[in-house]
Amino acid sequence: MTMEDGMNAITYNIPASLIADFGERKRIVRAHDPAEIVENLADEDLEGISFIKLLSLNGKLDSLMGWRNAIPIELVVSDTHRDLPLLYRYTPLLTDHPIRVLVPLVPGFGNVVKLAVSLNFAVKLEGGQPDESLLDEMQRIALFYLHQPLVAEPIDFFHSLFLAFYHRTSITLWTIQEEDSSLVRYITDEGEETMPGRFAGMKVNENFSTFMLEIQQGPVGEKGKCAGCEFLMHCQGYFKWPRREYRCDGVKTLMHTLRSAAEELRTDIASFHSPGEGGRT
Amino acid sequence: MTRSHFSIILLPTLGCNADCEYCFENKTDRHLTLDHLAVLIDKVMDFLERKHIGRLSIYWQGGEVMTLPPEWFEQADIIIRRSAEARKKEVVNYLQSNMIGYSVKWNRLISEMFGNSVGSSMDFPNLHRRFKGGAPHQFETLWVQNVREAREAGIKISVIAIPNKKTLQMGAERFYSHFADDLRITEFQVNTPFPGGSSNRVKDGYPLDAERLGRFLTDLATIWIDRGFGKGVHVGPFDRLMEYFVHGHKNLLCIWRDNCVNDFICIDPQGYVSQCDCWAASYPTFRFGNILGRDSLCNILEKNEARRQLQERPGVLIQREDCIECRYLGICHGGCPVRAHTMQGNLNRKDPYCSVYLALFDRMKELAGMANGQSGPFPLRSVSVGKNQLYSNERR
Repeated sequence: MTMEDGMNAITYNIPASLIADFGERKRIVRAHDPAEIVENLADEDLEGISFIKLLSLNGKLDSLMGWRNAIPIELVVSDTHRDLPLLYRYTPLLTDHPIRVLVPLVPGFGNVVKLAVSLNFAVKLEGGQPDESLLDEMQRIALFYLHQPLVAEPIDFFHSLFLAFYHRTSITLWTIQEEDSSLVRYITDEGEETMPGRFAGMKVNENFSTFMLEIQQGPVGEKGKCAGCEFLMHCQGYFKWPRREYRCDGVKTLMHTLRSAAEELRTDIASFHSPGEGGRT
Repeated sequence: MTRSHFSIILLPTLGCNADCEYCFENKTDRHLTLDHLAVLIDKVMDFLERKHIGRLSIYWQGGEVMTLPPEWFEQADIIIRRSAEARKKEVVNYLQSNMIGYSVKWNRLISEMFGNSVGSSMDFPNLHRRFKGGAPHQFETLWVQNVREAREAGIKISVIAIPNKKTLQMGAERFYSHFADDLRITEFQVNTPFPGGSSNRVKDGYPLDAERLGRFLTDLATIWIDRGFGKGVHVGPFDRLMEYFVHGHKNLLCIWRDNCVNDFICIDPQGYVSQCDCWAASYPTFRFGNILGRDSLCNILEKNEARRQLQERPGVLIQREDCIECRYLGICHGGCPVRAHTMQGNLNRKDPYCSVYLALFDRMKELAGMANGQSGPFPLRSVSVGKNQLYSNERR
C-alpha cells in the first residue's frame, strides 16, 4: 500500500470550517450548528462524506430539513438528562437521513438508548472504562437490546460484537468503536491530526501505529494482563485504556452475555434450517 | 425533492345535518368560500415548497362535508389541481362524511376527486348519532340505506365506530358480526371516546371504564384474527398493529405517532389553523393562527406558543411520566394530546387510555406471533432482536 492509498483509506473527522482543506478524502464533518454544515458543504463536497456529526442537539433544524441529500447524521448527546427530550426534534429528518445517536457511557445513558431506538435511531455507546454502577446499567441495556422484541435498531458496540460472535469473525472493538487510528483520525479545530474517538485531541509523536504498537506490547502482549483472556480476539485491550490497571470482570460478564446469546441464536437458526424438523429450506 | 409528506385535515364547513350527542365540535353555519380556498391552498403550497415536501394529503371533514353541494367541490378540485400542478406537487384527497346527505349526484365527484372511497361513521349499538330532534334509529336507518346505495354504485365505504357502555355490555362478538356480517363492511376502525367540547350527559360518562374497554378491544382483535384477518376484512387499529408486530412497519394511528405535530394540521372554514379537528372547533385557545391573514403558514407554525407546547409534549412526558419504562414506548409516545388535555386538564400528561393501549398492544403482539405460525409470540425463544437484525442484514 502506498502512502497515498493509506491516506485514502483513512476517514478524517473534521470541523465544518475545514471542509475545503480535505478535498476528496473520506470525511466525517462535525459542527455545533446544522446551518454551518449546510452552508459549508457544496454539492461537489458531498462525495466521500461518511456522515455529519451534530455536536449540539438544540440548534435550528431548518437548514437540514430542506437539505436535498441523504447523508447519514450522527447526534452527539453530551448531557443525558438535558438532551433526552431533544431527540424528538430530529424524527422528521428520518425521512431523508439515517440517524445514529452517540451516547456517552455515563449514569442515565440507558434512558437515552431506550428513547433513541424507540424513535428508530441507531445508537453507538462511547466510553471505555465503566465503573461498577455503570456496568449494571450496561448489562440491563444489553439485555434490552437482546431480548426486547421491539428493538429494531442496532445498539453498538453490542450489535457489532454480537454479530462478530455469531459469525465468528474477528472484528475488534477498536474498529467497531471507530477508534482504530489506521482507519479514522480526528482533526482538531486548529487543523491538527490526532487519534480518534476517546483519544481525540491526543497528540501522537511520529507515527499513529506506535500507539497501537504500545498496546500490543503492553496489556495485550504475551505477558500482559490480557494474555489468555477469552475475549482477547475482539477486545484487543480496548478496556485497558487509559488506566491499565482497570479490572475487566464486569466487561467480561457483558461480553459473555452477548456471546451466549449469539451462540444460542446459532443453535436456534441451525435447527430452524435443518430438514426433517419442519424447518425452511 | 425529498420523500417528505404532509397532511391537512380541511374543514370546509362546520355546518352539520346531524346532532350527535358526543360531538366535540361547536357547529356554525360558516363555510369556506372558493376564493378563500384558493388563498389557503396557495399558502399551503408555499409551505410545501419551503419545506421541500413533495406530497400532500387533504382529508376533507366537517361539520358535515355533504352539506355543501358537489358543485362546490368540483370547483375546489380545479383550484387545488391548478395550484399543485404549478408547484409540481402531488395531492391526494380523502372524504369523511356521515353519508346522511348522500345521493347519486355525488357519485361522479366521489369517483373523480376521492378515488371512489368514503370514510363514514356509525356505532353499534347506535345510541348517540341522530338528527336534531330525531331518534338514533331514524339516523341509522337512513345511513344504512345510503351506504347500501353508495356501495351499489361501486363506492367503497369504510366506517369509524365509537364504542359506548352498551357496546361493551353486548361484547365484541356482536359488534364484529354487526359490521362484518350484517352490514358487510370490510374496513372499520374503533376509536376511543373522549369528552371534547362543551359537556353534556353523554360526555360525562367518558372515559369509558378502562378495564372493560381493554377487554372489549382485545376480544374484538381476537375475533378479527380468527374470522377476518387475511380474508379481506380490515379492522383498525388492529390491522396496523399487526403490520407493526409482524413486519415492523410503523404506519400507526395519529394517537400513537412520535409526534402528530410533525405530520399534519387542521384548517377550519374561517382559516384558523390548529393541530387536528378535535382541537379546531372546541379549543380556540389552542389555535396556531389564521392562514387567511398576512402570515405565511411557515410563520404561523414556527412562532405559535400553543404549537410549541404540543411539539414539546412527548419530550416532557418522557421526563415526567413513566413512558420511558414502557415496553411499547416506540409505538405510543404517551398517546393523544387532546385526550390528555380534555380528560386531565393538562396537555403534559399521558393519554388517559394508557392501560387500554397496553392491554391491546400485549394482545396484538401475542396474536401476531400466533398468526405468524408460531407457538409463542416470537419465533425464537429469547434472542428475538438478534434474529430480526441478522435477517435484515443478510437481506442487504
